[in-house]
Amino acid sequence: MQHGYWIRSKPIYHSLAWQYKAQAHVLLASGEGGRSVLRLYQQRLPDQPVTVLYLPAENEDYSAPLVTVVGTSLQVFPDARELWQRFDQVLQQSRMGTRLYAAGTESFLWQATTLAVKHGVLNADVMREQPASLARPVYCVHCKTTTHGVTTNIAVCAGCQRHLFVRDHFSRRLGAYMGLMIDAEDPGNVPDAEEVYP
Amino acid sequence: MNNLAYKHETFRDDYTYRNSPDAIRRFPFPFAEDHYMYSVNIEQHQPGAKGSIVEHAFDIDEHYVSECEDKLITLGQDKGRYAALPHMMDAQWDFLELSMESLSRDYPHLFTLTKDGERWTWRNGPLGIEDSFVFGDAATLPLEPFEYMGRQVQGDFVLLDQREGTLFADAGFITSQADWSLAFDVGMSWHEWHGPVPQVEKMGIMDRALKFLMSLQQGNPVRRLNWTMTINPRLDTSPEHFPEWGPDKLKVTAQNAGEKAHLRVELQTMFRLPRSNAILFSIRCYLISLEELATYPRWAKRFHRVLRDLHPDLLEYKGIKVYHEAVLAWLSQHDDGAELALGAHPE
Repeated sequence: MQHGYWIRSKPIYHSLAWQYKAQAHVLLASGEGGRSVLRLYQQRLPDQPVTVLYLPAENEDYSAPLVTVVGTSLQVFPDARELWQRFDQVLQQSRMGTRLYAAGTESFLWQATTLAVKHGVLNADVMREQPASLARPVYCVHCKTTTHGVTTNIAVCAGCQRHLFVRDHFSRRLGAYMGLMIDAEDPGNVPDAEEVYP
Repeated sequence: MNNLAYKHETFRDDYTYRNSPDAIRRFPFPFAEDHYMYSVNIEQHQPGAKGSIVEHAFDIDEHYVSECEDKLITLGQDKGRYAALPHMMDAQWDFLELSMESLSRDYPHLFTLTKDGERWTWRNGPLGIEDSFVFGDAATLPLEPFEYMGRQVQGDFVLLDQREGTLFADAGFITSQADWSLAFDVGMSWHEWHGPVPQVEKMGIMDRALKFLMSLQQGNPVRRLNWTMTINPRLDTSPEHFPEWGPDKLKVTAQNAGEKAHLRVELQTMFRLPRSNAILFSIRCYLISLEELATYPRWAKRFHRVLRDLHPDLLEYKGIKVYHEAVLAWLSQHDDGAELALGAHPE
């Protein structure tokens, strides 16, 4: 929250729900997002083919229950690079009417969306759920570096080391919130950071 | 203005920018009343009074050459001030055509455009530029068409693509912005891009403005004024360079406010473009120091009242809060409390 007013570019996430009018379904999940997939599978299953791509995270590995519940539609990846490669291939082979679902950290959700947009998918046609951490990717407006996993309202930029105030203003193209030097007016005057995106 | 004496002045470092008495007189003072709140203050962009800032489609004034030089400095420091997504090439040519045709029609002694079929020759007298190129073939220009002309017209420019029931800011040439970032905002939809503006959500203003713009017709451009304040006559008040200009905001006192604090007015004009169906959103910045403003007593009185009673959210958003008291103290010396008739005119 910033200055007590709502910034409309801040994405709002919802729980995943099957979109039954479809030709096919592609689900992408990382870490805690595995639980979102399991929850989705408690709803009535769609008739069309489903593909689930899953990237386990440390201490957040739902591979075992996913294998049981999802079965042969599931593909588990040892690292992010392979997951994105596979997703890119899946997108190339996908047709109109394919529904996309993503669940994971905010960085993950927007990496998935950005890749989908490159294949002509509209932003609004990707369903996204943020099941666990509120940690934010933060784009430094001064040096243009994105720092991932920021859980505090003020964070040190991984690129230029400035202290950035994390705004609610969000760019879907960059998949990140804007970070602005907090002590630009009065250098050195940096308030204590507070963990508001745990 | 027919015979412009271009001033050599700076918008950074030693800040030698000043307005001549003529420039002060034609300054677009935006307050017709003692109180200000947002409204959808859009009107037709028809040619206005001779010598006024709306006499022509694009206003070229005494600051033209220095402002274009300042653009180059800013672009040299940060290439991200110009950005165009790949699908915007038709809109780029639309912009080049509109700006070249307008300038050569409205200021024929300064700019000329000759066409031999698709081979066009453009001559810009004040900047000493002459180029021949094939219209529609970007390889025949030294820069992309939007950047090429963006460097030769005062102000900032955004090209809005219309699709999915909204407008997307898919290209921009932005070197004199009031604290928003093109590199961050490019590609955003109308509501995302205006997300940070306070109060308007409640008032439904952005929805109405969007609806209005979506039905904008070719040949019927519109305009509105917007305003903020800037310390020192600086065009590049970007978030990118906030560390450079931010500290100046804390140096304003009741003694120096007249010289340091500037009213910054944006003439925003919007044109529907013929090939791309995009909208050109142009943002032309006018700066005036409080001292210059006080040349006309009713302006100083009115600005004092507007600032004194401005909504706290707007003070915060416009970044005025930190020097609000100092500026009020300076302006209050010029306000005897006399009642002012409606209207933004100087005298």
